[in-house]
Amino acid sequence: MTQLAQSKAAVSIVQAAPPLFELRGISKEFPGVKALDDVSFSVWPGEVHMLLGENGAGKSSLMKVLCGAYRADSGSFHYNGEKVEITSPADAQKLGIAVIFQEFSLVPYLDIAQNIFLGREPAGRVPGTIDRKKILADARHVLDSIGFDIDPTIRIEKLGVAQQQMVEIAKAISQNARILVMDEPTAALSDRETELLFALIARLKADGVAIIYISHRMAEVFSLGDRITVLRDGRRIDEVQPGAVSSDDLVRMMVGRSVDMSYPRTFAQTPGKVMLEVKGLSSSSGIAGIDLVVRQGEIVGLCGLVGSGRTEVVRAIFGADKATAGQILFDGQEKSGGPDEAARLGLALIPESRKAEGLALIRSVGDNLIVSALRKIFPRGFFDQGKSRQVAYDLIRQLRIVTPSDKQAVGLLSGGNQQKVVIGKWLAAGAKLFIFDEPTRGIDVGAKAEIFALIDRLVADGAAALMISSEQAEICHVCDRAYVMCDGRIAGELARHELSEENIVKLGMHHA
Amino acid sequence: MREQAMVLNTNPLQRIPGVAVMLVLLCVVFSLMTPGFLTVPNISNVLVQSTILLMLALPMTLIIMTEGLDLSMGAVLTLTSLIVAIVALATGSLLLGLLAAMAVGILFGTVNGWLVAVVGIPPFVATLGTLGMAQGLSLIVSDGQSVVGMPAAVRGVYSGTLGGVPLPIVLALGSYLVFHGLLYHTRFGTYIFALGGNREALKFAGISARRLLILVYALGGAMVGLAGLLMTARMNSGHPTAGLGLEFDAIAAVAVGGTSFERGNGWLLGTLLGVVTVGVLRNGLNLLALPSSIQVASVGLLVIAALFVDGLRSRS
Repeated sequence: MTQLAQSKAAVSIVQAAPPLFELRGISKEFPGVKALDDVSFSVWPGEVHMLLGENGAGKSSLMKVLCGAYRADSGSFHYNGEKVEITSPADAQKLGIAVIFQEFSLVPYLDIAQNIFLGREPAGRVPGTIDRKKILADARHVLDSIGFDIDPTIRIEKLGVAQQQMVEIAKAISQNARILVMDEPTAALSDRETELLFALIARLKADGVAIIYISHRMAEVFSLGDRITVLRDGRRIDEVQPGAVSSDDLVRMMVGRSVDMSYPRTFAQTPGKVMLEVKGLSSSSGIAGIDLVVRQGEIVGLCGLVGSGRTEVVRAIFGADKATAGQILFDGQEKSGGPDEAARLGLALIPESRKAEGLALIRSVGDNLIVSALRKIFPRGFFDQGKSRQVAYDLIRQLRIVTPSDKQAVGLLSGGNQQKVVIGKWLAAGAKLFIFDEPTRGIDVGAKAEIFALIDRLVADGAAALMISSEQAEICHVCDRAYVMCDGRIAGELARHELSEENIVKLGMHHA
Repeated sequence: MREQAMVLNTNPLQRIPGVAVMLVLLCVVFSLMTPGFLTVPNISNVLVQSTILLMLALPMTLIIMTEGLDLSMGAVLTLTSLIVAIVALATGSLLLGLLAAMAVGILFGTVNGWLVAVVGIPPFVATLGTLGMAQGLSLIVSDGQSVVGMPAAVRGVYSGTLGGVPLPIVLALGSYLVFHGLLYHTRFGTYIFALGGNREALKFAGISARRLLILVYALGGAMVGLAGLLMTARMNSGHPTAGLGLEFDAIAAVAVGGTSFERGNGWLLGTLLGVVTVGVLRNGLNLLALPSSIQVASVGLLVIAALFVDGLRSRS
């Protein structure tokens, strides 16, 4: 990458000029969360500015503010030193800001040329028609300019992810984008494809395009970045030169989120027999060679970056995704079937989106609590109102669900209490292993402690728990052990005394 | 280096669409089973009878590509056919009848599009509602009776020829060419692919999905108006149940033709083949003197079979 080295040297000269684009003191608040807190950030033409941060550090929010999808509460934008406004995607487009999201905005059954010029088609002679010759020539021209040699009449559905990304970039360039924002562009690319992308980035830099690059891979942060900005908790922690820091320094800047450390955990029981054993599990969704063990009385964490395969592991264990290799032993018994078998064996999945997957919101607390346990409570198939209410009452008391009555619609409860209803539902069904996917998402601090107290009681009573969480502090305080995932594999296991945010982040980063 | 698109189907046999296989298979089976099938008059008959269906199936393809549906087409066709008959009877003018029918068709289409795009009612429910309204209106305007005594010109639309080609086929082929041009060579057509394929992309390109959707459904209404003329000409009268269930055949033809109900994957030529396939199936069963109840069931079976074949092939 001599090209990169050259353009890196050029950057120091360029920096004497005002930045091409600058954000000053940008804040954005959502109910209960400060997504961005006084963030300042600037890019010069021809440089790659790396944006680094954990899940929830504010990278996505910053991107959305940049492309006009969110409107900043305060702060200002400056283009070539002049103050400008970004209140809509059109504003951002006019300024030459283009964002390449991980979810592409391409139309699968249109060809490359039609996608590049969607909404800007050259008019043909007959009104409403498209000048096909011109659109193809223009597309070839744009594709040439980024060094992507492909026939523009090929439809998007025929392209691989890397090629689609190239088309997205071509689309951005055709709109005269001067500031290109890329969100983990190498996440789905092979090594060879990554090289091609890096060559393209070098080329864009030489043309004076400013690139804001979000990444989780340490190697590319150092090889590609001209500058690095680290975000944490919506705040800008620091801006550094890649030559001046080590990857350990960066990790240290990313972690250390301030959280309430008073999560209760009694560790009442020494771990008992093995409840779940997974050996060499692979599935079609991209996870491979997963080995893990959960014992009675344990809370085991499953961490890693978003997209590292945590949810996919859980889905494979539960049988929602088909396993392609490996073995799942539950309570010593081999499990091979789908979710219905999992539920029958006593495996409970408490999904991330409780509203969509875990609860019938317009039905009552009582109905939701007993729905999974109907067969157990009424083995003969006849419903008994009194008995059902009794079961519901017991659960409401046991789990301390705050509700005016068992008749209240679940949708009207707070997030924490909804979560308790989901747990109660599985408890009633006789679950022995609880798998939690982000159990505290969207729950306020006080309720979080209560949820953890509840999980603690569950395992103290002989259940076992496997918990996915992006909140590393939570994992560190609540779990007996944790597995850290990276790229669909288990990157390492941390024992109780090794559990620290730094260790989790280190294992979870891509070092390749 | 030259980038190559991933070649998905390496086996050339797999690239032959399921609908073509189905059509050839049916033709072979029917020509073996009944001597009357593979004759020039019968094939011509099949094609002429398929023209009305094609006029519904063409816009239905576009509507389905937007992840929509128009269940009201059959009922609105009944209404527009009656209007052609009533206006032609009252004024003696075929052109006035056609214009009135198209106006009513466009009105229904626009209401459908408005309900779907602006009010946000799911297409299934919205067009089921207008289906009922069109049915009721048909009974009101016809008083439940057939409208008979058409001027001679009406019959001529169906039985006439242009350069030796039956007039309905000329109209249907013309419609096909217009739709082909519209879908593959205009901005409007490009955006229809985007409506179903990636509405977000359309939004970022600054194009109003609402307006487009209303236009698509309105276009469907216009075609139902034109098809109403053919329907009245075919029966030489207006009949209050003329279009009954034709929306089912239209959706079936689109589905058999390989247009997907997701991601804006439409294929207009497939729809043409699908229409002919449905026509051949009904004709063949007719020649075998099987009751119409069997025909309806067979069309249903055809849809399932075609989708099954495509599903098998895309999996392998």
